[in-house]
Amino acid sequence: MIQLFHVTKEYPGDGPALQDVSLTIGKGEFVFLTGASGAGKSTLLKLVFCDEAATAGQLLLFGKNVAKISGAAIPFLRRNIGVVFQDFKLLANRTVAENVALPLEVRGLALKEIRRRVRGLLRSVGLEHRAGKFPPSLSGGEQQRVAVARALAPDPALLLADEPTGNLDPERTLEVMELLHGANARGTTVVVATHDRSLLERYKRRVVVLEAGRLLSDGDSVRRAVS
Amino acid sequence: MPIRPLRAARRALESMARGPYVALVGAATVFVAVFATGLFAGALGGAERLLAAWAGGVRISVYLAPGADLERARAAAAALAPGRRTEAVPAEVALSRLAESLGEEAHVLEGVGPGALPDAVEVDGAGISLEGARELAARLRAVPGADDVDYGTAWLESLERFVARARAAGVALFGALALATAILVSNTLRLAVFARREEIEIMKLVGATDAFVAAPFLLEGLLQGLLGAGAAVLALLGVHGLVLPRLAAAVAAAGGLTLADTLPPALLLSLLGGGAAIGLFASALAVARALRRT
Repeated sequence: MIQLFHVTKEYPGDGPALQDVSLTIGKGEFVFLTGASGAGKSTLLKLVFCDEAATAGQLLLFGKNVAKISGAAIPFLRRNIGVVFQDFKLLANRTVAENVALPLEVRGLALKEIRRRVRGLLRSVGLEHRAGKFPPSLSGGEQQRVAVARALAPDPALLLADEPTGNLDPERTLEVMELLHGANARGTTVVVATHDRSLLERYKRRVVVLEAGRLLSDGDSVRRAVS
Repeated sequence: MPIRPLRAARRALESMARGPYVALVGAATVFVAVFATGLFAGALGGAERLLAAWAGGVRISVYLAPGADLERARAAAAALAPGRRTEAVPAEVALSRLAESLGEEAHVLEGVGPGALPDAVEVDGAGISLEGARELAARLRAVPGADDVDYGTAWLESLERFVARARAAGVALFGALALATAILVSNTLRLAVFARREEIEIMKLVGATDAFVAAPFLLEGLLQGLLGAGAAVLALLGVHGLVLPRLAAAVAAAGGLTLADTLPPALLLSLLGGGAAIGLFASALAVARALRRT
């Protein structure tokens, strides 16, 4: 699903955000990507959903070399990927339902189907009653859940989540993690970037640890990963 | 993914409703350009129609050399101008007509004998164009005994030259106005696009193609162009209704001017199409820049 070969990402006038990272994530896996702030977690996710290009090395996504994909083909590649952004990236002037519907509209689904899916998704994140509200009127946690619902809307083959539980209380954190696990159980590959150690301890999943842009460890559980 | 035109139109209308000021500024800019162009084109059309009316009223006179056979000359003129009424005008008749036209000032002709004026053949130019009058006059020079041919339209020729220059200036004016308007509307739309850059970025992040993102902006530009041009067309029709009666009171020939002379349907459709094209072009410019940056 995702293969990185000696990937480096540098920003002009700054040190490398990622350095010589090699990593393979298979289809149907659930992977935690962890590390301190600035470790390179978000950068790695940006490379995977083609928001940025690697400075060196190769990144293969769905078996295709991302560097060789034309600009015009990127939107079609992104349609296989759902992303929960750290800053949510919700449209302030669109309702909650319209925000969740956006990736479905982009895919040209029929309005009836869009409405049906949006209703179901909002129910699953406990926001059905907030469908007509605008994001600025929601709490941080509610916005987080809207972002999760939008990412899950197209039933993507790959789900990337950047600190998806960062603004949530423990109860909502469990709910969101259940949603991500549910998607994984349906066959979606899930990559969750988090620095929340409790999540890693609670869910015994593969943990990839980054430190200062380098791959520190790649293990089956947090204990092995951070030891 | 197919672009759904109705959904794109709905998004365009929603965006115009959310930012009516931007939409109004864009439409107003197109209005000014289309109105100015239409006013100029309408005035030019009216002037050309008047020119044709005046040219159609001319009489072409073939002045004969002394001793020329008047009746033979008339017959030759009739052959050269088939279908037109020709009249042999002996010098005495010409003198009496001149005296008649002078009215109270006819006394200035006291002591002037018929020998002062030449015999002439007059050809009626009803409905003829200025160009047609010129060609006919050239042919009539072949009338036996013809000394000079006059069709009394020197001032019309000056007016024709002026109208031709004005037409060329009109084309240049329209070009300049269209470009200036496209730049102005493009800058206005750029502000709208800039205000929605986050929306564009998010749409692209969830898999929208450039065409999907651009479609509502293009429709918005098209609608603004159509709105501005539509309003300009209505304003032009209003101006026509207001000005024509006053013009007809001042210039008799203007009484025959119709809407088809000044603002023919083809011109009005071109103005609508031109306004829409300016809006579309301007929005394409604005959105292309935004897409390059996201």
